[in-house]
Amino acid sequence: MGIFKKLGWYFRQEFKRYAIGVLCLLLVASVNLIPPKVIGALVDTMAKRNLTMDRLLLFLVALLFAGIGQYLFRYGWRNAIWGGAAKLEKTLRTRLFWHFMKMDATFYQKHRTGDLMAHATNDLNAIQNVAGAGILTLFDSVITGGTTIIAMIFFVDWRLTVLAILPMPLLAVMARQLGMRLHHAFGKAQAAFSRLNDKTQESVSGIKVIKTFGQGQEDTADFNQLVDKTVAINKRVNFFDGLFDPTTSLIMGMVYVITIIYGSHLVMTSQITIGQLVSFIAYVAALVWPMFAIGRLFNVLERGNASYDRIDKLLAETSSIQIAPQAIQTPAHGDIRFKINQFSYPDADTAALVNVHFTLPAGKTLGIVGRVGAGKSTIFKLLLREFDRYDGEIEFGDINIRDYSLDALLDAIGYVPQDNFLFSTTVADNIRFASYDKDAQAVEAAASESAVHDDILKFTAGYQTMVGERGVSLSGGQKQRLAIARAVITSPELLILDDALSAVDAKTEAAILHNLHNQRADKTTIIAAHRLSSVMHADEILVLEDGHVLERGTHTQLLAHDGWYAKMWAKQELEAKLGGDGNA
Amino acid sequence: MPKYESAWARSIPMKEQWHIVGRLMRYTKPYKRQFGGAIVAAALLASVNVALPWLLQEFMDRYLTHQTATTQIVIGFAALYAFGTILKALFQFFQAFLFAMGSERGLEDVRRDLFAQLHKLGMRYFDQTPAGSIVSRVTNDTATLSDFWNVLLSVLVGLFSVVSSFVTMYVVNAKIALMVLAFLPLLLFAIWYYSHYSSKVYRHMREKLSELNTKLNESIEGIGIIQQFRQENRIAQEFEATNQEYLRTRTAMIRVNSLLLSPIINLLYSFALVAVLAAFGIMSMHAFVAAGVVYAFTTYVSNFFNPMTNMMDSLSNFQDGVVAGSRIFRILDNQEFAPTSNPGASATLTHGKIEFRHVSFAYDGKHEILHDISFVANPGETVALVGHTGSGKSSIINVMMRFYEFGQGEILIDDVDIREYPMAELRAKLGLVLQDSFMFYGTVASNIRLFNEDISDDQIKKAAEFVQADRFIDQLPGQYDAKVIEGGAQFSSGERQLISFARTVVTDPKILVLDEATANIDTETEAVIQEGLKRIRQGRTTIAIAHRLSTIKDANLILVLDAGHIVERGTHDELLAQHGRYYDMYRLQTGMSD
Repeated sequence: MGIFKKLGWYFRQEFKRYAIGVLCLLLVASVNLIPPKVIGALVDTMAKRNLTMDRLLLFLVALLFAGIGQYLFRYGWRNAIWGGAAKLEKTLRTRLFWHFMKMDATFYQKHRTGDLMAHATNDLNAIQNVAGAGILTLFDSVITGGTTIIAMIFFVDWRLTVLAILPMPLLAVMARQLGMRLHHAFGKAQAAFSRLNDKTQESVSGIKVIKTFGQGQEDTADFNQLVDKTVAINKRVNFFDGLFDPTTSLIMGMVYVITIIYGSHLVMTSQITIGQLVSFIAYVAALVWPMFAIGRLFNVLERGNASYDRIDKLLAETSSIQIAPQAIQTPAHGDIRFKINQFSYPDADTAALVNVHFTLPAGKTLGIVGRVGAGKSTIFKLLLREFDRYDGEIEFGDINIRDYSLDALLDAIGYVPQDNFLFSTTVADNIRFASYDKDAQAVEAAASESAVHDDILKFTAGYQTMVGERGVSLSGGQKQRLAIARAVITSPELLILDDALSAVDAKTEAAILHNLHNQRADKTTIIAAHRLSSVMHADEILVLEDGHVLERGTHTQLLAHDGWYAKMWAKQELEAKLGGDGNA
Repeated sequence: MPKYESAWARSIPMKEQWHIVGRLMRYTKPYKRQFGGAIVAAALLASVNVALPWLLQEFMDRYLTHQTATTQIVIGFAALYAFGTILKALFQFFQAFLFAMGSERGLEDVRRDLFAQLHKLGMRYFDQTPAGSIVSRVTNDTATLSDFWNVLLSVLVGLFSVVSSFVTMYVVNAKIALMVLAFLPLLLFAIWYYSHYSSKVYRHMREKLSELNTKLNESIEGIGIIQQFRQENRIAQEFEATNQEYLRTRTAMIRVNSLLLSPIINLLYSFALVAVLAAFGIMSMHAFVAAGVVYAFTTYVSNFFNPMTNMMDSLSNFQDGVVAGSRIFRILDNQEFAPTSNPGASATLTHGKIEFRHVSFAYDGKHEILHDISFVANPGETVALVGHTGSGKSSIINVMMRFYEFGQGEILIDDVDIREYPMAELRAKLGLVLQDSFMFYGTVASNIRLFNEDISDDQIKKAAEFVQADRFIDQLPGQYDAKVIEGGAQFSSGERQLISFARTVVTDPKILVLDEATANIDTETEAVIQEGLKRIRQGRTTIAIAHRLSTIKDANLILVLDAGHIVERGTHDELLAQHGRYYDMYRLQTGMSD
């Protein structure tokens, strides 16, 4: 029942709808009392053999009235209550979606896509069931059950009624016991389904690797093992689920047996008529549904409760990125001062950045180089406020970046990540992703700036070509250039290229760097790259190693310093020279 | 945003529907015992459901009406009724449990078949189909099948119930029974009208639902980009519009159901009840009518109509199943198989000589991507592929790896047609390092081993050391047992690449294929890898794509590609001497480093 309390806010919000629904249920229940009474009376009148046409007509009209009334009121409650359930699902889905939009990187590291999808589909379904079937069965069993019992007492015999309904509390006990077991099994079944989802998602995404290594059969065997486990888990669910109806039948059977024994005693001693007994049996039959419903109710509530808790837990997770109450709304601009004494990723043992300090005056370019895992991307993650917990300070235009609203900060930054995610929409919409109101001209300008315009024109539908999921139909270089176009279309105050030129050839790289230099003369740029030629013109270059700044300076200074950078440069230079001389 | 064709967007012709149903039913065959048992239980349950009111009727009419019931008789009937109830409970359990287990096993078989089929399909299928929709076929669509098979059960239960109650009514009073039967056409008309009218509304609703889930999935996967560009509001509003649209269609569906589903059956029941009682009433004016008979008849009439609601309710499940089935079979029937070997292929790859003879290739069978490609790589030699993006470098590797079937020409390995090698042989002897280094959920070790249990931990360590991936692996918590999360997001792309190198090295392939493998590695790491590659290349034939020409200078043969043609070929020195395209490219690259 706790779940009704948890959903209280919704029932209060939709009070009118549910009031109408419950009223209709009440009317259905009342009208429902008519047929058994009429049948009983008819039987008795027939037994006494004094049925007249007038009386028969009266009975029949009453029955007809009951039938039509049932139709109308049933239509009423169905619309109200099922509609309410649909609306609740929609409301929760919206809430969940907004929550997903707000969550940080830690959240997405913890929850896999398949898992989040399962929350947004299966769990929401289980919750909306509470607001639909749950509410229905609750009120139906209380109202129909209550009115039926009252009718039994008044129209038939109170002693018979008391005795007959004696076994009914057993239903509650049964529902509770089975419900708990089912709840447990069901949770496991949901988890098993999630695992199947994740497994499939991964195999499809990694299909090329699996094919390369000829591991198709092994992967299938792995999947089949998961399926076997799922079957075993669902067997328990089906077992407990299958026990509900039979147990309810057994308990109702006891009610019938009591009715037969004590009811016939009452008839034999002429305390009730045979017609009353027929009515009574019809009323007992009318009790079957509400009692089944109680069994189902617990079932629905258990599932809904489990799902609500799961959703609630998800919604309760907060983003570690907190916006200061008086966050600055004006877009960030100006010098960037990066002073990190230490930063570690959540749950990591070693520090990812140690004493990385730099000042990047507005309009200048910073280059960052270093070995794989040296911490280049980490710097960007902090600048983009993917992580907020670190020892140190980052300022953008003399203001701590944590004091900006996320809009003010991120609108000023155009970021091109290493992994380019493109959306399943048109090329044009992918480019104007950050600024949806930009016209075709602006889109083309951005595409030209990132040297992808000519490629796009060769696509079947040009800028209106659909990009497949993750841009599968595009080459790596085209994806990178589209991602660059997406970042430069807003002319951001700060552009970050995180190894974003790795898949484009040298000629294209040169063209892009040239364009950026011309178009962004007064704007700030940070380039992380492996090819030193990408950063050699930067105003300052940082060489990172294991999260520390190993060397820093301009290209010339670093060469003079004769350290890692100079060594790398010499190596690349030597390769070039050797090549230039034609000596392979 | 996304525009996938939804199976809900079209109505499926009747003939195709029955075809799908037939094929889905075949999956129930291996579980004849479960399904058969459930159906027998359902039939027995129907009999018990008729027998119990009959028992009461007999009791009332024989003993109660005539006031002749002794305690013994009362107890006897009560015991009989209790026994009947126990039977009823047993049949109910077996009907539900056996059927659920049959469905569960059947649908899991569909899942297995789908998954196995996926591995048979060629890359072209995966290029064209969004991953999310494939996943949904394997998990969600199969899940609906259990409800679909349940339709069968509810139809049978309905049928049993209608037949058993009609037969009993007929035995008790043939005339009135026939009167009830007269309602059957009305009932059938209601069912037909409902299914006809609701299917359109329902299809529309499902179409919206699939759109909704597709959007949700993509928004989760692309959350990083959405957040970096502050598009949360726009994306959420777009989502909200779809969400609202779905709610609208769903509300329409509820209205149709409220008007035409169980309430209408109930109304018909009420009419039938009125007719039956009218008949009994008129009859009683001329002759004696037993109370028990009236009681039993009202119960039978209710048994006659009640299961209909269930049956109609399950009609939407029927539609779900047909649509899910049509999508499932579209995958199972897909003939875009990965290329296969010739029947009886049994060649063994020993030397690793590769020869392309006039090979041409088109991804779609129409637009040729490769034209007349010919070259030879002798055992141990390195052939480098050079050219701008889209020039066909990757396509050469794709056809050689047999990801796609090539058109004209021949590919020979050790002078034997590549189709004469069993696929397993090719996979074992050809090692490909991909540009995208995909990571699987699991551990570092499992990512290097993949599923090959023959590879020992020691071999894994050696391979990692070989490509110097051990440097960062040793720093991970748990080292080789360090957990790898979805997509390996905790590693940089360079680290991922090193792991994928180790993955290739550990299989000890005869032929090495490098697809732009060095593009994402920084210079120092690359130097390390170049050294490693030089070592593995010893005794192995290598086909390599690289962006930086300096890394392939020692290749025995360099092919310069442009728009799918080989435009220049030769060694580094020869090509430089030609002063052609390669020379230009090389000048440009070296010029950039000055």
